[in-house]
Amino acid sequence: MSLKTPTRNSPAVAATPGTATATGKRRSLRAVANLRRNYPTAIIIAILAVLVLLPLALVLLAAFSNSVPRPGNISLGSLTLDNLAFLGSPEALGALGNSLIVGAGSAVVALVIGAFLAFICARSDAPMRRFIFFIGMAPMFIPALVGALAWSLLSSPSAGYINILLRDLGIDAVVNIYSMPGLIFVLGIFYAPYAFLLMHSSLSMMNADLEEAAGVHGAPLRTMLRTVTLPLALPALLGSAVLVFALTMENFPVAQVIGNPAGVDTLPTYIYRLMSATPAKSNQAASIAVVLTAALLVITVVQQRIISKRKFTTVTGKGNRPRQVPLRKLRWPFTILALAYFAASVLLPMLALLAASMQASPFVASISQLFESGALSFSELGQVLTSHDFQLALRNSVLVAILAAAAGTILSFIASYIKYRTKSKGGTAIELIAMTPLAVPAIVMGIGLLWTWLLLPVPVYGTLAILAIACVAVFLPQGYRGVSASMLQMDQDLEDSAVMLGASRARAIVSVTLPLMRVGITSSFLLFLMLSMRELSASIFLFTSNTRILSILVFDDFDNGQSQAAAAVSVLYCVVIAVLAIVAQWLGADRKPKPLT
Amino acid sequence: MKISIQNLQLKYGDFTAIENLNLDVADGEALVLLGQSGCGKTSTMRCLAGLEEPSAGKIIIDDVVVFDSERGINLPPNKRNVGMVFQSYAVWPHMTVFQNVAYSLKMQKISKREIQDRVLEVLAMVGLEEFAQRGASLLSGGQMQRVALARSLVMRPSVLMLDEPLSNLDARLRDRLRVELREIQLRLGLTCVYVTHDQHEAFALADRIALLQGGRIVQIGGPREMYGAPSSASIAHFLGVSNVMHCDTVEIEGSMASVRVTGHDIRVSSSHGIPSPSAELKVCIRAEDLQVTAEQVVTAEQERPNSWKGRVRVAGFQGNDMRYAVELDGGLELDALGTIKRGEQHDVGDTVWVSVDPHQVQILPAEVYA
Repeated sequence: MSLKTPTRNSPAVAATPGTATATGKRRSLRAVANLRRNYPTAIIIAILAVLVLLPLALVLLAAFSNSVPRPGNISLGSLTLDNLAFLGSPEALGALGNSLIVGAGSAVVALVIGAFLAFICARSDAPMRRFIFFIGMAPMFIPALVGALAWSLLSSPSAGYINILLRDLGIDAVVNIYSMPGLIFVLGIFYAPYAFLLMHSSLSMMNADLEEAAGVHGAPLRTMLRTVTLPLALPALLGSAVLVFALTMENFPVAQVIGNPAGVDTLPTYIYRLMSATPAKSNQAASIAVVLTAALLVITVVQQRIISKRKFTTVTGKGNRPRQVPLRKLRWPFTILALAYFAASVLLPMLALLAASMQASPFVASISQLFESGALSFSELGQVLTSHDFQLALRNSVLVAILAAAAGTILSFIASYIKYRTKSKGGTAIELIAMTPLAVPAIVMGIGLLWTWLLLPVPVYGTLAILAIACVAVFLPQGYRGVSASMLQMDQDLEDSAVMLGASRARAIVSVTLPLMRVGITSSFLLFLMLSMRELSASIFLFTSNTRILSILVFDDFDNGQSQAAAAVSVLYCVVIAVLAIVAQWLGADRKPKPLT
Repeated sequence: MKISIQNLQLKYGDFTAIENLNLDVADGEALVLLGQSGCGKTSTMRCLAGLEEPSAGKIIIDDVVVFDSERGINLPPNKRNVGMVFQSYAVWPHMTVFQNVAYSLKMQKISKREIQDRVLEVLAMVGLEEFAQRGASLLSGGQMQRVALARSLVMRPSVLMLDEPLSNLDARLRDRLRVELREIQLRLGLTCVYVTHDQHEAFALADRIALLQGGRIVQIGGPREMYGAPSSASIAHFLGVSNVMHCDTVEIEGSMASVRVTGHDIRVSSSHGIPSPSAELKVCIRAEDLQVTAEQVVTAEQERPNSWKGRVRVAGFQGNDMRYAVELDGGLELDALGTIKRGEQHDVGDTVWVSVDPHQVQILPAEVYA
């Protein structure tokens, strides 16, 4: 506005000198008013910049430098292009290739499973459809790290329960999860819920009229599915495929647990290996991180394009039930397939974790051994439960999650408010920065945050605060999007009318806007809470011995070969998350979990 | 003067929503801002309320300068003592009717006792005293409208503004509330500013109507004046005149003017004369002023002007009226409304005569820029 003022007033200025001074005065008054009005925007932009942009800038800088900040030496070194040459090394290229294969492969697996479940759940007459909906999203509540751990217990080539069983049965075959197909399988089944939820909402919200119109105009069922249903669901199909591709490509825990023993390096595990080498090859890691981020950025932009198109194509119905496809003979076989997925994604992993954490002897020669009396006991679980490590990690996890959820929700609310409820020019910038972490792998964010908070003269490194900061930074897009959606659903008149009736703006927000957005705000808070409870990839660079959280504890135990301890902590970890989810349901605020796009 | 708006201007980027608007509203007057969507009427109201910041100009309410771009004055809405009933009503669903209405009094830190009295008094006025403890989300549209009205009345505003107050209601309720609104306004001597796109609403509620087109006031005056003498063809069209046709001047004889409908061999006479022969002219005839008869109406003295032969192309039964589309010889089509009780009825294909009193014909410039 202040930029436009001179042009608008220039004729008046030329006409009379009297107006010229008035104009000048008006301009300066305006400027003061603008400044006063804009300073909350400026503060939020500054916070977001430190939270999100500074870490990314440091990673980028480190990729072109020969040293990085570390405790005791916070210089950035001098600029160099040497790290770029490193990108051409066979290891780097191999990791990039593996990442692409893993991403594409698991996207296909997740899409096939997700689309299949969504179809029979939303649009068929298969039995147990409500349970199939539960099946479709249940794996979301199992942290990917735990899922990977469970599958390595199930089918590591030497000691996996499945391979022991095969040996018991005298079958000369080995299911080796420590392989590229194994990695793709595990990622695929644990990311299928994302595809499922997107596809399910698209299929069930599809306006039945659109399909019936095809029938009215003479198309048989099969033609209708092909010419109307499929094209309408296509954006969701493509969108979820690209989403899973992006999520699995940047996934660190599964790739580390499954891929490392298999000798398969992906970009995130390679970054981790470089960072944890002695001495750390941080600058090389940074250059790999830049490549990974660039790739993810492209994918995310593509995905957002596809998803945003969906709004125009899938017309939401007015509650009319979409048409069901009769499966006839296939009704039960399809349901059994869904149950098989449930077994692979939830049942078997949970059983494996339980067995592993309770088995008395560390070696299992045959499955029948597990059923002998005294073979399983709760002593290990009890020991873990009472151990100092577990209790500290539990306390840390809960503290970090609550801190992150509170800070993240408040930040998301203020950012959305500025974007959608004020005319501030900064709104667009705020939204862009808040959504940026969507295109940044958590592991890269973790490195950037580490360097940022070593550089800044604030004693945050080594405290739980830095872990909470990391969770806010990594999950800001999800929180911001949730709060914005709820804010957009609320008519601005509701708040304005309070101001018209004599309330100050702040008072109106407190007495009208916040109570009316209660549901949206609580569910964003719970979303932050759940996601923070599971966070590993960024925290892995930020924790210290006193600030270990549950995910780190599981990872460390597994890394040190203590599978039993890792399994026991995992079981309790899942219990904590389940309790949180149940509390969330109970609060009534968390309706269907939204896809975390 | 209760409200004085001077040289008001509002821009969004390059788009000008309000252009140099000047308007005064007297104490106790009901002024209606009338216009199509996007004409700037709601923006004007929001500038008055303080919800929108004008780019330039000055607004004075009750002798208080609430906005002055030159002096950098911009009072926030809560300091203006202006009541506003939103089009969406904006009744808060998380509060009871009582809590909704009591809100402004709580903001003024008035004693509980007095809040109780004033809220119940105002609820009685809008006929909702029995609903005080009802949750606001359980109300019907008409009741919400009354809550919104009560909520603004209770604060005793200097000015009450209503944005399309009746547009979300069904037709019957709308008629009733329109009368009630006018009654309350007159009884309390309230200064009111309404915004509407509905001419009937405007006629019924207004002491004065300001008609807006493209961010400017193009005509301002009483409802009767506005109805009887629109100052341009486009205003006439907006006010419901359905026969608006391009025309060329033929002759002017005293106050009697004759024009030819452009492209047709149809002569139309008006006893109102012609405003300014240089401007682009249009001839305007209301559908209800056209008479449709089977025989040509012949008066004693002379051949009657404004009488044309044609054929009924469409006849639509509307209860009280018949609506005809009559195609005159030569292809011109006129929209005519015939009262069923008064006269004859015609069927599709009938040959008819269409006539109009020259006093009911207006020849107007196509547009005016006030």
